Amino acid sequence: MIEYLQFVLGPQVINGLTIGVAIILVSLGLSIIFGLLDVVNMAHGEFYAMGAFVSMTLYALGLGFWAALIITPLLMMPIGALVERGLIRFVYHSPDRHTLTLLLTIGLSIILKDLYDVLYGPNTMKPDNPISGVTEIAGIIIPNYRLFLLVFGTVIITLTWFVLFRTRLGAVIRAAAHDKDMTASLGVPVRLIYSGAFAFGISLAALAGVLLAPIYSVFPTMGHDFILLAFTVVIVGGIGSFWGTVVAGLLLTQIESIASLYIAPNWGEPLIFSIMIAVLIVRPQGLFNWSR
Amino acid sequence: MTVGAQKLNGTASTRFLAWLFFIVAIAFAIVAGISQEIFYLRLATEALIFSGIALSVDLLLGYTGLFSLGQALFFGMGAYLTALLLTEGSGYGFWSALGLSLLASTVVSLIIGAIAIRSKGVYFILITFGLAQVAGQSVYNTRSLGGSDGITGIPVLDIDFGFFNVNLGDPVSFFMLSLVFVLVLYLGLLYLTSTPFGRVLIAIRSNEERVRALGYNPWRYKLASYVIAADVAALAGTLYPLLRGFVSPELMYFDISVNAVIMVILGGTGTLIGPLYGSVFLIALKTFISSWTLHHGIVIGIIFMLTVIFFPAGFVGLYKRLATAITRRGQTS
Amino acid sequence: MNKVICQFATGITAALVAAACAPAFAANDQPIKIGVLTPLSGAYAPIGQQVKWGTELAVEEINASGGIAGRQIQLIFEDGEADPAVMTRKAEKLFQSDKVDFLTGVVNSGGTIAVGQVAERNKRLASTTVSLSDAITGVRCSPNLFRVNAPGGMQATGLVQWIKTHQADARILAVGPDYEMGRNTVAGFVSTAKEAGLNIVGELFPPLGEKDFTSYFGQIRQSRPAIIYTSTAGNDTVRFFSQLEEYGLRSRMTLAGASVAVTAQNIQAMGNTAEGFVTVAGYSPDLDTPENKKFTSDFQKKTNATPDLYGADSYGVVYFYKAAVEKAGGTDTDAVRTAMRGLTWDTPQGKKEMRAGDHQAIMDVYVLQVKDGRFTIVDKIKGADAAGADTCERF
Repeated sequence: MIEYLQFVLGPQVINGLTIGVAIILVSLGLSIIFGLLDVVNMAHGEFYAMGAFVSMTLYALGLGFWAALIITPLLMMPIGALVERGLIRFVYHSPDRHTLTLLLTIGLSIILKDLYDVLYGPNTMKPDNPISGVTEIAGIIIPNYRLFLLVFGTVIITLTWFVLFRTRLGAVIRAAAHDKDMTASLGVPVRLIYSGAFAFGISLAALAGVLLAPIYSVFPTMGHDFILLAFTVVIVGGIGSFWGTVVAGLLLTQIESIASLYIAPNWGEPLIFSIMIAVLIVRPQGLFNWSR
Repeated sequence: MTVGAQKLNGTASTRFLAWLFFIVAIAFAIVAGISQEIFYLRLATEALIFSGIALSVDLLLGYTGLFSLGQALFFGMGAYLTALLLTEGSGYGFWSALGLSLLASTVVSLIIGAIAIRSKGVYFILITFGLAQVAGQSVYNTRSLGGSDGITGIPVLDIDFGFFNVNLGDPVSFFMLSLVFVLVLYLGLLYLTSTPFGRVLIAIRSNEERVRALGYNPWRYKLASYVIAADVAALAGTLYPLLRGFVSPELMYFDISVNAVIMVILGGTGTLIGPLYGSVFLIALKTFISSWTLHHGIVIGIIFMLTVIFFPAGFVGLYKRLATAITRRGQTS
Repeated sequence: MNKVICQFATGITAALVAAACAPAFAANDQPIKIGVLTPLSGAYAPIGQQVKWGTELAVEEINASGGIAGRQIQLIFEDGEADPAVMTRKAEKLFQSDKVDFLTGVVNSGGTIAVGQVAERNKRLASTTVSLSDAITGVRCSPNLFRVNAPGGMQATGLVQWIKTHQADARILAVGPDYEMGRNTVAGFVSTAKEAGLNIVGELFPPLGEKDFTSYFGQIRQSRPAIIYTSTAGNDTVRFFSQLEEYGLRSRMTLAGASVAVTAQNIQAMGNTAEGFVTVAGYSPDLDTPENKKFTSDFQKKTNATPDLYGADSYGVVYFYKAAVEKAGGTDTDAVRTAMRGLTWDTPQGKKEMRAGDHQAIMDVYVLQVKDGRFTIVDKIKGADAAGADTCERF
């Protein structure tokens, strides 16, 4: 029993946690964009990839991992604002907004995927692991880098929570999500908030890209890796719900991790999709939609 | 919805474009047949087959207001059932395959529709997307369905129409068959959308609440529309293995569903003839762009986005605008 | 509305009548055209690039010395994109529109089989220079399809022999991506290994494109293998090896695998995690023969890159076709097919012989090991020993 916990279940749970944290970063971005701007960002995976690719360029320029970690999200903010201003804005006021933004972001993802192929080539790249070695906790072996991921990811998530729920900026954002016109009439530059929120959302995804590159490698179609899970997390947790995303993120990654021990892993993806479909049918607003 | 908000079908422009399409197609068949341009014939046949799934998307999106990102599920279903019937069964032919596909898609779409149609807007889109992925992945995981490699070795059929035979090995014959097939689907849908049933669908797209207030049950109409669209997609799917000789799980995946949507948008939502043009455009674009530049993703993505933003009524809409502009100019001078 | 339908119905009848008549026509010939259908974009583009370079170099040389029986060769390239639907479409285009006499370059095994069908329908010949699936010259063999490269089966036999010589009682774990190709490669290796008396302790099949192999590490640790054999490719191998390294497992074992597992495409991304990896392939640029030295230096002069097995085999296939056409006295499909059966021809790797029974080329294979970030030759296995039995029943 102990051996089972140590060798099989324990590592799966810990692993699920680290992936869970990374997924939460990606999903938070998607949830914010979906919840606040009402935009279904089908290109979100490509922004996750963009973070990884940008970090590879920074490494090629001689910068280290830590520098890339800070600079990449900062670089992504203006890019995000540009995308929002330049593209989403066109269709924003249309009553078909959901459909149109979905279509536009699909088009964008097609373009971005090809663009990565053009700029970086199809070969796989992988940055070196910045923190090598393993640690043993209660008999379970955990690579140090994954511990770092867990800690750092949690810090970022906590920071996001803090900004959203304990600052004036956060209050304004939540107000705008709740009632755009009322907030605008209070003198808040809602358009700016939207661009900022979109930018922030994709920066989170890009940050996840930088963090995961050393263990998952970098290649043009890497956006596919997480997009399905991210969408499921957002839907299960509730669109626009911070806590929903966090809980759903942890829960779903644990389900995936542990399920892979008992069912053939190829059925993991259909399992996740089925969960998403079930929630969409039974409780489309999400399982954990208590607060925003 | 303003995405290609079209007036009711049957305007002069769409009639003209429809005639044009079929006449040019026949002319193409004659010319290509004489010069034996088999590659182009087969490519055009493939465009016709995919226009079937585009028609099914248009019925849902352009007329009923349902955005399905998962029509590939039914297309793939029709394709796989045909492949299985023709490779595993014996003595079955074209008509059995059509019948089987129709039956299966009706049953499955009734079940899926009954559950999914309750969901609104974005949720419906995601459900259809998810279901197609689950189906595709399940087929991929199943060795008896060919697994990731799919099923190959589908025989070249001879179709018996009673007083004459069509041999599908002859590219001109297959092209003509597909053309007639698409024509029948097109006319069928055209007729359907002009009936009172069709009117209710269009009304649902504009304002579902009002339709309900008038005493109709929108859910039933949406379900019927979903089933019909599924049938159209499955019938089109039946032709695919007959043309290419194989099926693979990719036929159910996201790419096929998205391509169908792109075809509808490029051609003109809610026009039925638009998707036919859209299919030809997209397939031609993909084939010829990939011959001179490798990066067709960027080109197609940009064209698509420009269409969504600047030409939401697609090719048919553009033609209408030009036609009205020219006639108007003619009238004032 | 009804009137419109009637009008169209008349059209239908006219159309059906037209369908019944379609005149036939014959093709013409001038330069010999070879179609190269290979991935020029997408994940396999680097392989396609080598195929392109190899065929181009061969054609340049042959054309410069007078062509095939006095006729110049013209290469026509199409991007196969590793999608069987696209490949069949493009193969049709090459045979029908461009009227190529011969088709080669297909990488993806499923695509090769599909293209073989297209070749049969068009009554022309095709050959693969990359595809590994044993089925291509086995259960799914085609009279119009040939293979000049070493298939998975030959690689497996070679690898098993090497293991038997060096680590005969090692515990071996086999890993493969969970799809037809991945599973078949592993199955081939495992059955060959068991026949030779090796100790296979387990088989794992993570999904294709698996990002995180750590879920399998519990099982891996429990089976305590000394050797891990893998048929993963591209990114999957990068992730697998780097995660093994992350968890401190890699240094305890020897990594081995199919030739697709570690290639020029992903070896750099793996850094030193690929060190010591053993595989078997039909070619290595380090082969110390005068033909190979000349080939590699010409290749490098032309492309600034080192040839790999894909480049070398693609170079060789053009010479194969040349030899067959010259022996047959023309490009007639049946004559060339007969000429190809049993044909021996020279390649940078030495002589290859095309086995008549299944259209599989027999050649010596080399055991390669990664040392300091590049492959070095550590052993050679004769073709006769490595070649599997002829399992093709169609002809």
